[in-house]
Amino acid sequence: MLFIMPAVLILISSMMQEFAWGSLAKDSSIPVLFVDNDHDSLGTKVKSGFSGSDAFQIIDSLDHKPLTTVMAKNAVKKGDYLIAIVVPKGATATMRANVRLSVAKVLAGFGMGNPMLVNGISFRDSINVTIFFDPTVKKAFKNAVISSVRENYYRIQTEWVFQNFNQEIAIQMPMYKPPKEAFKEILKFREEYPTYREVELIPNSSQHNVPAWTIFAMFFIVIPLTQSLIQEREGGSLFRLLTMPVSYMTLVMAKVGVYLVVCLTQTAAMLVAGIVLLPLFGLPMLVIGDEIPALFVMTLMVSMAAVGYGLMVGTVFKTHQQAAAFGSISVIILAAIGGLWVPIYLMPASMRALSLLSPMNWAITGYYSIFLRGGDLWQVAPQAIKLLLFFLSTVIITAVYHKYKRPVNS
Amino acid sequence: MSRQPIIEIRELTKIYKGAEEPAVNSISLDIFPNEIFGLLGPNGAGKTTTISILCGLFPATKGSVMIDGIDSHTNLEKIKQIIGVVPQDIALYPTLTGRENLTFFGNMYGIYGSELRDRINHYLSEFGLEKHANKVVGKYSGGMKRRVNLIAGLLHGPKILFLDEPTVGIDVQSRLVILEYLKEINKKGVTIVYTSHYMEEAENLCNRVAIIDRGNIIALGNPKELLEGKPEFKNLENIFIHLTGKDMRD
Repeated sequence: MLFIMPAVLILISSMMQEFAWGSLAKDSSIPVLFVDNDHDSLGTKVKSGFSGSDAFQIIDSLDHKPLTTVMAKNAVKKGDYLIAIVVPKGATATMRANVRLSVAKVLAGFGMGNPMLVNGISFRDSINVTIFFDPTVKKAFKNAVISSVRENYYRIQTEWVFQNFNQEIAIQMPMYKPPKEAFKEILKFREEYPTYREVELIPNSSQHNVPAWTIFAMFFIVIPLTQSLIQEREGGSLFRLLTMPVSYMTLVMAKVGVYLVVCLTQTAAMLVAGIVLLPLFGLPMLVIGDEIPALFVMTLMVSMAAVGYGLMVGTVFKTHQQAAAFGSISVIILAAIGGLWVPIYLMPASMRALSLLSPMNWAITGYYSIFLRGGDLWQVAPQAIKLLLFFLSTVIITAVYHKYKRPVNS
Repeated sequence: MSRQPIIEIRELTKIYKGAEEPAVNSISLDIFPNEIFGLLGPNGAGKTTTISILCGLFPATKGSVMIDGIDSHTNLEKIKQIIGVVPQDIALYPTLTGRENLTFFGNMYGIYGSELRDRINHYLSEFGLEKHANKVVGKYSGGMKRRVNLIAGLLHGPKILFLDEPTVGIDVQSRLVILEYLKEINKKGVTIVYTSHYMEEAENLCNRVAIIDRGNIIALGNPKELLEGKPEFKNLENIFIHLTGKDMRD
C-alpha cells in the first residue's frame, strides 16, 4: 500500500491538473452554453474565440432548438451546465457606433470632419455581455472565462478603431491610401523557462506533481511509524528492548534506518511511476535530468525529515488514536502551508511567511530546483541543510522526551 | 547458600511525578545467589516498579541497587548483560514468527549465526514449540506466547532472571512447563526474581518471598517460616489476605 497508493495519487492528481490546464484531449473540455442575440461581429468573434480553446466546448442549441437566454439560464440554474454566455442584441452595433464616434471626435480635434456635429453627440450606454455561472464554479475558473470574453472584446474594438480611422482619413484626405492590413498585433508572448541547464526544461504537470505528491507520501510515513512505536511501547517490546544491553538511541537509529529504506524505496517507485506510468495515460513523462547526486541527497534529506517527524509524533503522543489523528492532519497542514497544493506565490503574505517554516516547503523548493531548474547539489544545499537540521531537532526532542517524560510505562 | 547477596537493595524509593504517595517506599532487601525469590503483592503494590528499577528501565528517586557487585548507577550496561527479563506483557512482535522474534532479540544480545540458531532450536524444543516456530506470534495461543516470551529472556543465558507475572492468563499445561523449567534453570545456578498473584504457585516455587503493599515490604521470609507458629493461617494466601486486607485494589 505504501508504494501503490502514492503512485495512484500521482496519476490521478496529474490527470486532474492536466485537465485543469486544458491540454488534454477535447473530449474532456467543459461545455459552455452560448446565446448569440447579436448575430453580428462581437457574437461571432466571442464564439470563435471559445471554440478555438481546447478547454471549452460551445453549445448553441439544446434539444435541436436554438438556445435562448431563458433556456440557458434555466439550464445553469438546474446545474446541467456550469456556464452560459449571452451576447445581447445590438451589442456589435453599439460598439461600432461608439468606436465611430470616438474616431470622429479625435479627428475633429485635427479639424477634420464637422466638429460642431460630433461634439453634440454622446456615447451610447455600455452593453452587458451576461455570463451565467453555476454557484459551484470556482473563482479562478470564473476569472478565466471572463478574461477570455474580455480579450475578444478588446481585440475587436482595437481592429474597429483602426478600420474607422482609415475610413475617415480616406474620406477627408482623398490622397490617402489605407494599408491592406489595417491592424497587426505587434505584442506577442514567448514563454521561456530559464534554468541552470543549457537545454530548457518545459514545466508540465508531471514535473510539478510527481515531486509534490512524493513529498506528501513520504511524510505519511508518520502513520506506520507512529503505529509501530506505540505498539512497541504498549505491547511491552520496548520494555524488553530497554532491558537489553543497547541504548535507546541505538534503538531509535535502527528504526530510522529501516524507515529510511522504506521512504527511499517509495520515492524510487513514485519516480518510476512518473516515468513509466504517466505516459501510459497520455500524460507527460517525468524528466529526472542528470543531477542524480542532487536528487539522491535531496530525497535522503526529505526522508530523514519525514522519519524524524514520525519518531517525534510517535514518542510524544500516548495512543494510536492521538498519534494517527495528529500525524495525518499535521501532514496535511504542513503540505498546505508548504505550497504542495497551492503555490506559495498565490498565498497571502502571512501564509507565505508561515510556509517558510514548513519542511515540506523546503522539500518542494529543493525538488523544483532539480526538476524544473536543473539545479545541482550546490543549488539544493540550503534546503537539504534545513531538512537535516529539522531531522536532528526531531531526534533530540524524541530523546529528551523519552528520557524525562516517557520512560516506558511509568 | 552463600551469604553474599547477588542483589542488594538499599532504601529504594520511587515517587512518580504528580503522585501523592511513593510507589516504592524506602525498601531494603538482599536476594542471594541461586534463590527463587517471590515478590508478592496486590495490584499497585510496587512490584513492577521495583522490578523495573532493578532492570534499569528507569532510575529510583532515592536509594541504591547493586547487582552481582555492580552499582546500577555507574554500570547499568554491564548489569543488562547478566540479567534476563520476562515482562508481564507479551513483549513480542505479533507480525513476526516465533523464530523471527527470538532471532531479533538474540541479535540484540549480540548473539548471531549458528550459535543463536542452536540456542533457539534448543529452547523451542524444551518448550514444545518446534512445530509452531515459523507461525506468526499473533496466531499463537496465550500459553504459546507466554512460552516464547520466556525464551526471549533466556536466550543469552542470564545469571539473574526477572519475571513479572510469567504465568498470568495461561492454561495449566503451559504454566506447568514454565514453572518446571524455572526450577530446572534455578538448579543450574540461575537466580530468579519473580512476581505473581498466584500465592499457591509462589509457595511451591519460591525459597523466599517478600510481601509488598503500598510500596513497603510487610513480610519477608521462607513461605514455610512465615506460616510457623500461626495455626490460624493454612497457607500463604491466608497470610497475604491478613496482611494486605480484603479491600479490592485498582
